[in-house]
Amino acid sequence: MAVYEKKYVWSILLRLFHWTFAPSIFTLIVTGLYIHWPWTNTWLEGSHQFTMAIMRWIHFIAGMLFTCAVIARLYLWFFGNKYERVWDFLPITGRNIKNLFSTLLYYAYLTDHHEERLGHNALAGTAYFFTILLAIVQFLTGLYLLYPEGSLFTSIGATLFGTQQVARFIHYILNWYFAWFALVHIYIVVWNDIKHPEGLISSIFDGFKFAKKEQ
Amino acid sequence: MNRSLFMGGIPGTMSRRGFLRACAIATAAMGLPMEMVPKVAEAASDPKRPSVVWLHFQECTGCSESLLRASHPDIATLILDLISLDYHETLMAAAGKQAEEDLEKAIERGNYLLVVEGGIPLKDGGIYCKIAGKKAVDILKHAAEKAVAIIAIGTCAAYGGIQAAKPNPTGAVGVSDIIKDKPIINVPGCPPNPHNFLSTVLYYLTFKKLPPTDKFGRPLFAYGRKIHDHCERRPHFDEGRYVEQFGDVGHRLGFCLYKVGCKGPETYSNCPVIRFNDVEVWPVSVGNGCYGCTEPNFWDTMTPFHKRLPNVKIPGGKGIQASATEIGKAALGVTAAALAIHAGVGIAKRLATGSKSEE
Ligand code: HEM
Ligand code: SF4
Repeated sequence: MAVYEKKYVWSILLRLFHWTFAPSIFTLIVTGLYIHWPWTNTWLEGSHQFTMAIMRWIHFIAGMLFTCAVIARLYLWFFGNKYERVWDFLPITGRNIKNLFSTLLYYAYLTDHHEERLGHNALAGTAYFFTILLAIVQFLTGLYLLYPEGSLFTSIGATLFGTQQVARFIHYILNWYFAWFALVHIYIVVWNDIKHPEGLISSIFDGFKFAKKEQ
Repeated sequence: MNRSLFMGGIPGTMSRRGFLRACAIATAAMGLPMEMVPKVAEAASDPKRPSVVWLHFQECTGCSESLLRASHPDIATLILDLISLDYHETLMAAAGKQAEEDLEKAIERGNYLLVVEGGIPLKDGGIYCKIAGKKAVDILKHAAEKAVAIIAIGTCAAYGGIQAAKPNPTGAVGVSDIIKDKPIINVPGCPPNPHNFLSTVLYYLTFKKLPPTDKFGRPLFAYGRKIHDHCERRPHFDEGRYVEQFGDVGHRLGFCLYKVGCKGPETYSNCPVIRFNDVEVWPVSVGNGCYGCTEPNFWDTMTPFHKRLPNVKIPGGKGIQASATEIGKAALGVTAAALAIHAGVGIAKRLATGSKSEE
């Protein structure tokens, strides 16, 4: 019987980031798809529902929270604790490159070897890294759409993406990326939680993971 | 409104009242305060009329057409009175050699406003548009040299236009892709509203400089705001009442055209405010969504015109058009299947090796 000890891994700010990011993505996908295709019955002339206005309102507020969350994560990339910084999980060191491949093999059931990691494994870390980059693209296109007239975001948006239509197209495609990411993320987390007693899911609530104690 | 309001007693001329009225409309369109009307009128009636050279390249002459057909106020008259049009292939009396001589003379005199209508092909050395044996790109460079400023009228001259649509067989581009050392202003649209052209010219005559522009070189006074934010159907958008299909009940009731592809939410222009022709119409007011014709590359990014977002051409596919929705749904479906398989293998493995969950 292995002995486990409690290790503090995720800071409060990281957990706050996570619990702002995740629900905002869910809300943004639901309201975003409504904005894309307002499917509710439109035949009740005179019914005062303001469906579109409400959906957009929720989308924009969730978008603001999403943007704040991304900024917080960017900050933690450089100023977070040991596990939160980019160099802990990006495949830029020999240790992480090895871990990237071993994790791939492990996820594909090709090996039973599993490197214990308190932070992200390199595969997850890389995926999160690109997700944050895409999140930046998402909020920049979103802010370009939201502040169309001569704001800072208009200049940034027009320079990076061109016309609003192009920005909108990118914004829409990325909607599907985030839907895909949420699905895969939740699946892998649950899978890991079932396979290992490290307390992965609970760690995003209370910050603690469990590591095998060296004996 | 009545056309005769703007007309003088002699057919084809303009009354003083009509003239001032046109100046007032232009002043308002430029976003200038009404105190500026006399200044604009003064500039517009200056006997020293600026020389204008008007070049036509790859285009349909629709921009010139809509300018001349505009009868409220009689912009054509005002424009033609305002400037000394020294070269305009469609309008000038001269033809052939004489016309070419006129052009040369105007260029020699210098100090003119150059108006360009149409895209300029660059592929294969620019051989796809020639006038009098000369390549469009050469004519443009030659004429631009001594021009004080250039106005690119229409989406073709501004950004290449329809001939620049993928795969752009002639390599068409807009004026600002070729000329870099002159003040250039774009007045895009397919066609652009004549008022916006007139206001740009009047602005130039009044202030001796071109008006401030956005990132795409368009005058802010005309292209500074989104169509969607001025649209008379906007309350229907906010209340979630849409035309589902052309000709349906919602269409008859004047609901929002978003779901039949209106590009108003991504298009910058003052169409809903300035409107077109005598009868105060614009596309949305007559029940057709905006096509986004004032935006760069609209032939590529705004089509299909009656859908919200452009279709994606899958590279390497059999030329299949699949919308982003389909790609998204497919990707999600594949992922769900992959996850199910992954989970299945995991369970199977566990059953086979006896329930061993790493210690
Ligand atoms: C995971 C993040 C996000 C997702 C999945 C998402 C999804 C979407 C979708 C699907 C649309 C409809 C596009 C269309 O088909 O026309 C949309 C529109 C829009 N989104 Fe987002 N979005 C996200 C983040 C943001 C952010 C951060 C902002 C900025 C605060 C934002 C602002 C907007 C705006 C302004 C529109 C256009 C609404 C309109 O013009 O009526 N979005 N979004
Ligand atoms: S018709 Fe077009 S521009 Fe007008 S409110 Fe609807 S989407 Fe916006």
